[in-house]
Amino acid sequence: MINISKETKNKEFKKLLLGLIVIGVICISLFSGCTQKTEGLPIVLVGRDSTSGTREFFFSHVMNSENFSETLQEKNSNGGIYQTISQTPGAIGYVGLGFLNTDVKALKINNISATVANVLAGTYPISRDLYMFTKGEATGAAKEFIEYIQSSNGQAIVEEEGFVPLVDSQPYNSSGKTVTGSLKIGGSTTVFPIAEKAKESFSKIYSDVSITISSTGSGAGITAVGQDTVDIGMSSRDLKSSESSLGLVKYIIAKDGIAIIVNPENTYVDTLTLEQLKAIYKGDISNWNEFI
Amino acid sequence: MSRRLPRFLHFFISLKKIKETSIKTIFFLTAISSIIIIFSIIYFLFQDGYSIFQTAGLWEFLSGSRWYPTGTPPLYGAFPLIVGTLLVTFGAMVIAIPLSIGSAIFISEIASPKMRAIIKPAIELLAGIPSVVYGFFGLIVLTTWLRIGFNQPSGESWLAGSILLGIMAIPTITSVAEDAISSVPKEYKEGSLALSATRWQTISKVIVPSAFSGITAAIILGMGRAIGETMAVMMVCGNPTYGLIPTPITNVFAPIKTLTATLGIEMGEVATGSDHYHALFGIALLLLVITLIVNIIATVILNRLKEKYTSSSKKRFKLRYETNQKIKRYFFWVMILIIIGVLYVAVGVLITISLLVVAGICYYLNKKISAKNIQRIAFTALFSAIVLVLIFLGIILSYIIFNGAGALNWGFLTEWPSNLGRSGGIFPAIVGTFYLVGGALFIALPLGVGAAIYLNEYTREGRVTKIIRAGADLLNGTPSIVFGLFGFAFLVLYLKMGISLLAGQITLAFMILPTIIRTTEEALKSVPQILREGSLALGATKWQTIKKVVLPPAAPGILTGAILGIGRAAGETAPIMFTAVVVSGFIPSSLFDSVNALPFHLYMLATSVPDSRAQQAGTALVLLLVVIGFYLIAILLRNHYKKTMKW
Repeated sequence: MINISKETKNKEFKKLLLGLIVIGVICISLFSGCTQKTEGLPIVLVGRDSTSGTREFFFSHVMNSENFSETLQEKNSNGGIYQTISQTPGAIGYVGLGFLNTDVKALKINNISATVANVLAGTYPISRDLYMFTKGEATGAAKEFIEYIQSSNGQAIVEEEGFVPLVDSQPYNSSGKTVTGSLKIGGSTTVFPIAEKAKESFSKIYSDVSITISSTGSGAGITAVGQDTVDIGMSSRDLKSSESSLGLVKYIIAKDGIAIIVNPENTYVDTLTLEQLKAIYKGDISNWNEFI
Repeated sequence: MSRRLPRFLHFFISLKKIKETSIKTIFFLTAISSIIIIFSIIYFLFQDGYSIFQTAGLWEFLSGSRWYPTGTPPLYGAFPLIVGTLLVTFGAMVIAIPLSIGSAIFISEIASPKMRAIIKPAIELLAGIPSVVYGFFGLIVLTTWLRIGFNQPSGESWLAGSILLGIMAIPTITSVAEDAISSVPKEYKEGSLALSATRWQTISKVIVPSAFSGITAAIILGMGRAIGETMAVMMVCGNPTYGLIPTPITNVFAPIKTLTATLGIEMGEVATGSDHYHALFGIALLLLVITLIVNIIATVILNRLKEKYTSSSKKRFKLRYETNQKIKRYFFWVMILIIIGVLYVAVGVLITISLLVVAGICYYLNKKISAKNIQRIAFTALFSAIVLVLIFLGIILSYIIFNGAGALNWGFLTEWPSNLGRSGGIFPAIVGTFYLVGGALFIALPLGVGAAIYLNEYTREGRVTKIIRAGADLLNGTPSIVFGLFGFAFLVLYLKMGISLLAGQITLAFMILPTIIRTTEEALKSVPQILREGSLALGATKWQTIKKVVLPPAAPGILTGAILGIGRAAGETAPIMFTAVVVSGFIPSSLFDSVNALPFHLYMLATSVPDSRAQQAGTALVLLLVVIGFYLIAILLRNHYKKTMKW
């Protein structure tokens, strides 16, 4: 071993320290280089995945079938969009009315706020029907379940979940009916909460029926009912021409408005016109400060 | 033999022979099952995927710059998805390689036995955390940190995915690299130390270079794992529609869409049989091919390594030492130039120059500082690597434990979910998970143990065993989402099982098969040859020997493998997402009912049910406890078994 005197050791230590300081300074400068302040509040676009009924509706009614901006982030459920919006100050997204809550702020469209009353009155511009499909006319448990949802009992659930009920529905009459067996339901993530809640009370009337509900998206629901893998397909859009050959029967179970939501911290806008909304989703407007 | 056997005994002997042969045949069949599975995966992916190569064209599919299958006209350009996958993997490797190799060196060379006894299981626990729990943590915590810390509009980005994948790859790389380092012959180390080299000099100049190819294989295996990972990436990367190549490409805060995330998001919603459906299978095929190539490279390297240490008879062509050095030097400078070029493009002139200056200073200091101080610095660096890994583990675990403990009570475990899981418990998900893993084990255990017995007891090392092992290795490297797609195409649609418990069990069984084969083989190998020879010499048949002599002492080892398999199956989401699970909470009454499972329940809560934060954390905690519980039992069992082994 080589003997090293105390002095050289100290010198070495100083050099070492110096080196470490230089490295530290450069790391910090690199780090701060990455964290440059941005002007205003950049818009983060959030939307549904490409097979969603909500997205297809949005695409045809708001975008007029023009392409979305490339930066649109995809979530595969309404809840996913909601989650991101509530966490991200600059984000904007679209969800069914039923998903509105205090963690997000719903924007007015053409100065009309997204409420059940406005959808019923027909003044809120972005609204649509919600569907259930069966292969051929509904029979047995499927028939009763759909009747139950369409009844005033079911429509109460629809309203409770924040959707828009059908007009003049009758109370459900279960007298003299027995429903047994199993019922498989699958499809739209928008319709899912209605079906899930309806299942809870439906099972109370008919205790012998077992219902399984999966939330996979409108496209998958329609495909599944066409292939007989489920008994009822839920959908937030009507059949497309390519699906018309499946032999499905359509039941409208509720109406839904599509709410445009932003983070509550976003103080730049409260209302948008359809044109502005389209411009945002096309990427022509990329920062919220353009609205000042 | 002098006396002839009575005639009727011949019959029994031939009967015995028939029995032995048929047993051997059964084992052979179980052994080739993994090959059959891997080929049927390829077949079904190809069958469902090739039509997209016809409609879109193979070259357009690979090089098209937009992924928009539902547009008019539909665009099937997978190129941005491939780039996304590569970028995320690259970032993950930048994080994982230094940390895991540092940890591997620290564990095998520096840590005291006591420390090792703590650190090693801790890193193995990191491997036990289910990917959906990583995703949950990433979605709720990491993306928020990134967004606020770097003042970005959104934290869902390439960087978030890379960090998560990096952490997830650490255990894989560390354990394989550690094996490679500890298999370096002791003489090398002793020789170096005897020449008065310091421990660090020994490590950096002797041990690591000798273990180099093993470490490379470890990195490649880690890469394979990162490429195939679905859930975590899908939850934190943002998934821009069309797939987006970040501009500039070094923008780590850009959202990114990977091959696996595309499958995870779109597969559940796509109309079966449409062009889009076929395009997704094309993507899966692409993913499978990429991971297969990566894994084959790793396997080849590891096999060479084995040959190098076991047989010295094969002499390879070797360059002269001087030429070798020259090539190395040229290679070194070329690499430096490339790195400078990349830096220049990426971060600009100023930072590149300053980095060069720092590198120069370090180099200069390196020459000036005594070996002892260098060792001190190096050991500190290694130590900080392992500390960082443990901190990651600590942060994730403590977040989930502190947030989940509040939701955890008896009712949460035993009640049915209501209001979409916002209230009530997770009982059906727990039961569903146990049904799924129980069934998976029931299918995989006989197949896996049978295959291992055939490989270890009935054949000599040769072409057959090589092919079978390769099959198991490939199966091991197949991304879990690919299993999911295969299960959907083969079990759910082709065999018409529907989204059912059985389809999920079979899919999971295929996935854990390689784990069981490998651990069983290890257990069988640890039974000394003398015991078998003794038994055979006493006139026992092969099957009797296996049944009475080999299997009993190997049983704990096999059990360990089975439990590891259960742990892995319990935490997986991607394979069951399209084959077995649905959101609704109920307990299946037959094998053809669908189920709910903990990882899927967590995924749905985290991504689809707002206002359920407590339930999310609670579910994550229960899932973590279940999976880590299994891993812990396996680790303890293995350690106990190692200690109590008499031979």
